[in-house]
Amino acid sequence: MTSVPTTKSTVLGAALLTAAMALPSVQFAYADAAPERGNVSFKYLNYQESQSVNTPGTSGSSTHTHDAISGATAGGSSGSASNADRIGVNAYAISALVPIAGEWSIGTTYTYDSVSGASPTYHTSGLTHMVDHRNVIDLEATRYLSRGTVTAGTSYSKETDYISRSYSLQGSYETEDKNTTFTLGGSITNDSIDPLVKDPITGTFRHEKKDITSGVVGVTRVLSKVDIVQFNLGYSSGTGYYSDPYKFYTSATLVPVSLDNRPRDRNNTTLMGRWNHHFDGTDGTAHFSYRYYTDTFGIRAHTLGAEYVQPIENGWTVAPLLRFYSQTEADFYVATSAAERAATTAAPFVPTTPTSTYYSMDQRLSAFGAYTLGLKVSKQLNPDWLVDLKFEYYQQSSDWALAGTKDSGLATFSARSIQAGVSRQF
Amino acid sequence: METFRFGFQAMGCGCEVVLASDSKKNAQSIAKLVIDEVTRIEQKYSRYRPESIVSRINAAAARDWVECDPETLALVRYGDTLFESSAGLFDCTSGVLRRAWDFSRAQLPDPSMLPALLSLIGWQRLERKGNAVRLGVAGMELDFGGFGKEYAADRAATIVHAKGVRHGFVNLAGDMRVVGPKPDGSPWMVGIQDPRHEKRTIASLPLSVGAIATSGDYERFFEAEGNRYCHILHPKTGYPVTFWRSVTVVAPLAITAGSCSTIAMLSEADGLGFLERSGLDYFAIDHSGQVYHKKQ
Amino acid sequence: MKIQVLKKPVHALLLLLMLGLTGCSMGAAVQPWEKGTLARPEMTFGGDKLDTGYTEHIYSSKEGASGGSGVGGGGCGCN
Repeated sequence: MTSVPTTKSTVLGAALLTAAMALPSVQFAYADAAPERGNVSFKYLNYQESQSVNTPGTSGSSTHTHDAISGATAGGSSGSASNADRIGVNAYAISALVPIAGEWSIGTTYTYDSVSGASPTYHTSGLTHMVDHRNVIDLEATRYLSRGTVTAGTSYSKETDYISRSYSLQGSYETEDKNTTFTLGGSITNDSIDPLVKDPITGTFRHEKKDITSGVVGVTRVLSKVDIVQFNLGYSSGTGYYSDPYKFYTSATLVPVSLDNRPRDRNNTTLMGRWNHHFDGTDGTAHFSYRYYTDTFGIRAHTLGAEYVQPIENGWTVAPLLRFYSQTEADFYVATSAAERAATTAAPFVPTTPTSTYYSMDQRLSAFGAYTLGLKVSKQLNPDWLVDLKFEYYQQSSDWALAGTKDSGLATFSARSIQAGVSRQF
Repeated sequence: METFRFGFQAMGCGCEVVLASDSKKNAQSIAKLVIDEVTRIEQKYSRYRPESIVSRINAAAARDWVECDPETLALVRYGDTLFESSAGLFDCTSGVLRRAWDFSRAQLPDPSMLPALLSLIGWQRLERKGNAVRLGVAGMELDFGGFGKEYAADRAATIVHAKGVRHGFVNLAGDMRVVGPKPDGSPWMVGIQDPRHEKRTIASLPLSVGAIATSGDYERFFEAEGNRYCHILHPKTGYPVTFWRSVTVVAPLAITAGSCSTIAMLSEADGLGFLERSGLDYFAIDHSGQVYHKKQ
Repeated sequence: MKIQVLKKPVHALLLLLMLGLTGCSMGAAVQPWEKGTLARPEMTFGGDKLDTGYTEHIYSSKEGASGGSGVGGGGCGCN
């Protein structure tokens, strides 16, 4: 009788398993494998902002010199606007993913959105109307290799006054045990901006550009059977036109006054951590994310997100979500003045160009905090069809800023969005 | 979500695929893929089909190189590991012994036949040249039957999983690979055949992931002069093994479970030590009916 | 400038995190057959692409910070 040598046995079990796993397709594919099936998805978005404007506005004195045009501010409305007048978006997106020969996948997304409504000219005041359409087409091809993927992508986005072209390349590499994945990616974006209004300083139409180069390195790691984490470090360097051409004020004497002039360079660094955890007890999955952002405008931001996905009976899934965001103001943010805060219809505030080199009165560059509450419900109708509905409520206020100089003259901003989608597998 | 069960005949035995799906149509289409895959492997590696790759290699022994496809080469490499790590006990060229042991006629072989047949066994004499292989001695036979069924179970389960199924299993005559637990999350209860009572089970094991395989002296055997002669033949003696009635192993893959249970059978009395040190769950019944299972 | 000073510790922190994660001390490595749960769509970082696309676009047009999760995607003149 021949025996298995004692010293070899433990190694033997492992050796047999390792050898067995080298056999073709005996393990379930969990890693980044080429998709087996294609899919087509459609999603509709309806987004509506609202803001209770806390200043009586600039009654009568603000009229822009240009006509009402697509993509720009149009005929200055003034005073407080009702919620219905604020920015609203209707968007439609369709995407398709096609696997090819088990080694490639081609994905494409087309998005159309129409934006209309009023946005503030300065701070949360001086509402001006705008209407625009945006068409975006994204295309990407992924090659699946035994230990990683390579993805090349391109994107083209067009608005009346803004064209953006972007090219990206991303690679991922898995360790032998497929528990750790490293990613490296880079992209360049070339934007071309043709504001529909003249430069209030030179009195001429501008043709502007903005070029952004960005890169990201990341690592995704399986921590346990029910935990996976990801860290990404991103860096982006941009040069060009960052100002908002529509933020100017036309005085009673018809002299336009620039209210927005931003640095022509903007570099940012992001640090992102994500953690997904599955609860065997409830069969639910929690998603946690944190992002730190810092840029050369002087904005530092923290973003915290949490989501819980709970499958229930008959293909239904519910997923409540929470998000908190806080940022500091940009170095060149010009806060509301006492005069502005005290303005009344009888004694309206008249903005003037600040004396500093760079300045902006854009609420988005102020210090504020924001939270989102959301709920997504989806139903798998059968193995091929999936439908989903998502509702989100968002609110932004300077009071919630964790750091930075709060500008008490800004009105609380809120928005709600509804998404409805359908997806079909082939 | 409904659970569907499809029975079919393949590899000379009763097989089944069980899967949970929202539609019967979808379940049927997946079951068809499973049956197609098992049939494909059965035909590709059949010793009885003259055009199969195995038959061609056997027919060309000591003469021609036979070019192999990647799947066959992968199975050959797995055969290497089996041979090396079982100290030569699991030898995919030991099928020649069937010429002496005819289980359908229940006859003991002429002892004078065995030395010649034993000389035709020797995995190390399977020669390689690039993607081609050749058996070194005329009369040698290659046979993947020792793990073909388990390999097919793993492949079939992989197909079921790739089709999005997360609850179900593939069972090829007791060699079983689980795709995922029952739709309610509870494990499948797998009965272990009583090696002495065809219609009875001797134990049942819960299984929600991984695979289970049993080798036993009851699958094909005959009795003569009060002794039982089973189909698991020792490559060094040429005689059936006698120590274990059956060995069941639970492992991540069916092919690993099957290989370990077969090696344990071939290791005779040393099989228990092997099983214990493998770290895998096992359930073994020796020649006297004594039951052994993994020490916790 | 204060931002430049800030950057270095951030990079160092990330490097530490990465080393910590890819290195040891994270318990036993998860085996391929233990990845059934990890393979579920909700355990991946991909998510619903169109949903993510809309949501990130809205946030980047209403907040100062953007990006972080990957590369690609075009810019816009979101005003």
